[in-house]
Amino acid sequence: MSEFRRQHWAAAVDKLFGAIKQNFITFLIIAFVGTRQSDGGYFMYVLYATIALTFFSGIGSWYRFRFRVFEGELQIKKGIFVRKNIFMSRERIQVIDLTEGLVQRIFGLVKVEVKTAGGGTESATINAITFEEAEELKRALRTDKTVIEGEAVSDSDEAYVEEDEFIDEWKISTKELVMAAFTSGNFGLIASILGALSGQMDAVINDQSIEYVKNSLPGLNNVTLIITVVIAILVISWTFSFLGVIFSYSDFSVKKTEKELLIRSGLIERKHITIPFDRIQAVRFIEGVLRQPLGCGMLYVESAGFEQNVKERSIVLVPFISKAKMQDFFDRFLTDFHIPELDVTPPKKSFFRYLRRPNYLLLIAAPIAWYFWELGWLLFLLMIPATILGFLRYNDAGLHFDSKMIAMQFRNFNRKTAFIRRKRVQVIEESTNPFQARKNLSSLTVTAASGAKGIGFSINDLRSDDVSRIREWLISGETDYVTSPTES
Amino acid sequence: MNVIPETRIDRKAIKAWRLTALIFGIFWFVPGIAYVPISLEINKFDPVVLLFLIVPGLIFYVLMGLFIPNLRWQRWRYDINEDEIDLQRGFVFKTRTVVPINRVQHVDTNQGPIYRRYKLSSVKISTAATTHEIPALDDETAAEVRNKITQLVRQVKEDV
Repeated sequence: MSEFRRQHWAAAVDKLFGAIKQNFITFLIIAFVGTRQSDGGYFMYVLYATIALTFFSGIGSWYRFRFRVFEGELQIKKGIFVRKNIFMSRERIQVIDLTEGLVQRIFGLVKVEVKTAGGGTESATINAITFEEAEELKRALRTDKTVIEGEAVSDSDEAYVEEDEFIDEWKISTKELVMAAFTSGNFGLIASILGALSGQMDAVINDQSIEYVKNSLPGLNNVTLIITVVIAILVISWTFSFLGVIFSYSDFSVKKTEKELLIRSGLIERKHITIPFDRIQAVRFIEGVLRQPLGCGMLYVESAGFEQNVKERSIVLVPFISKAKMQDFFDRFLTDFHIPELDVTPPKKSFFRYLRRPNYLLLIAAPIAWYFWELGWLLFLLMIPATILGFLRYNDAGLHFDSKMIAMQFRNFNRKTAFIRRKRVQVIEESTNPFQARKNLSSLTVTAASGAKGIGFSINDLRSDDVSRIREWLISGETDYVTSPTES
Repeated sequence: MNVIPETRIDRKAIKAWRLTALIFGIFWFVPGIAYVPISLEINKFDPVVLLFLIVPGLIFYVLMGLFIPNLRWQRWRYDINEDEIDLQRGFVFKTRTVVPINRVQHVDTNQGPIYRRYKLSSVKISTAATTHEIPALDDETAAEVRNKITQLVRQVKEDV
């Protein structure tokens, strides 16, 4: 690794493919216009020239791109016209992620992304090298560090464990994958599609088109037509999310080594993500609306300190896992966490506050909508589901804290549970509005780091005493259950 | 157990905030001022509409300029000790923020033109996730606070 070397020539192919993929629509339009042109297909020449240019620039940048690991430093030289040298010292490298895109898989290669902590957007990407080279690169960029640490460890008479040795592995079965795909329906996405479409409705849905559909599909009236359209949109978007899940999480596995978790997933583009244990900030369990009845959900891990321009780094740790298996998973892979009894909950006196809270916005929006739109009063009907949502939120809200960690369960729409180690809680915020103050209630927000920014978890209308206890706990680590009133 | 932080920010904060509010408060009148030429242009000038635009603007202006800075100052408290930074603020929505000392990543002091006039600075405390600000401390206090936090952080990090 100490000699400069080039990537596999497939890097040039990858570059060409990438460019085509990115400008696919432009290419399509040019090709379309070009073939229709009667004067000799002028546009087609432009297209060919562009592709050829991209191809040669791909070859050029492949030729120029050389890398090596020298004295604990990843060194990259690249650039055709603007020459660029990247030097990354081993100490600053946080994570090495591998991805196998389509091109890489055809040639049996892998793309390597080396990411450093902080300081701008530095991340070095090597587009196509063999697996062996990637492993070698990984080892070269890490071994020395482990040797140093290994020495320190052996001083204290602890057994030295080979870093790359897999201790444990978690897979999801085909049945789980299919269930994950079935229940992946993203209501937010569907709503936004419907919204976007309703803006375009007038153009698409006019008397003529309705007439046409009615004639071609007899037995439809206006109401059934609308229902049909809505169902069609639901089915289409559901199909997309179904396929999306199958493509991203096929062949999924989490492997554990002494120092990190290695996640691998993907059908066509296969990703290998590395999460060092000491970078894990929080774990989130999200039970989607369709998944909660099955007692299942998705497990995310929040990891910190990568590129500054990435706001959050939430990584899917397990795409589908039943709640019953979670404790087992934690025991095997994340020993810092456990699933506790949620023993701190909002008191009874905040029940009606929970029911009212989702309705406030409606109470403002509905009269305005009514003023502008004859049927706007229908928005008031939404108060029923909003109240039910409030009820569910009240039922689901709860937390637990002990010497090691805090677990918070709450619901916005999906039910979420966040697990954060005490040492990883960055900030605790307690907020009280005048109405809460009268009832001795407060809202709690616990923030953990994620990527370059934070991710906050909130529970509304807890007893102010409980929130104070959590504040004390953050500093002292003591849970202080004695002073907690059982009911008020 | 529930000790409220004690230290107040500098009293000059009220003046500085008032000045800021009075300068930027001019924007409250923009709708009213803009209405006059636009409505005259299309011959639809209505003094009642103008009144409806100007009066709320005036109320906001007076409120923001005269009363709010006072209340804000009264409710702003902070405390810094070897364990935590404790901030409490807000007169309607009261917010209490606790940052454990060893989560602090860096501390800055800032001074805008208005603060400079009153020899005030604000202290910005950043963690891996969030940034918090103690506004309007007089320059020496701000420097003191900054040094104190830096020192405490160093101490704690060495302990670990």
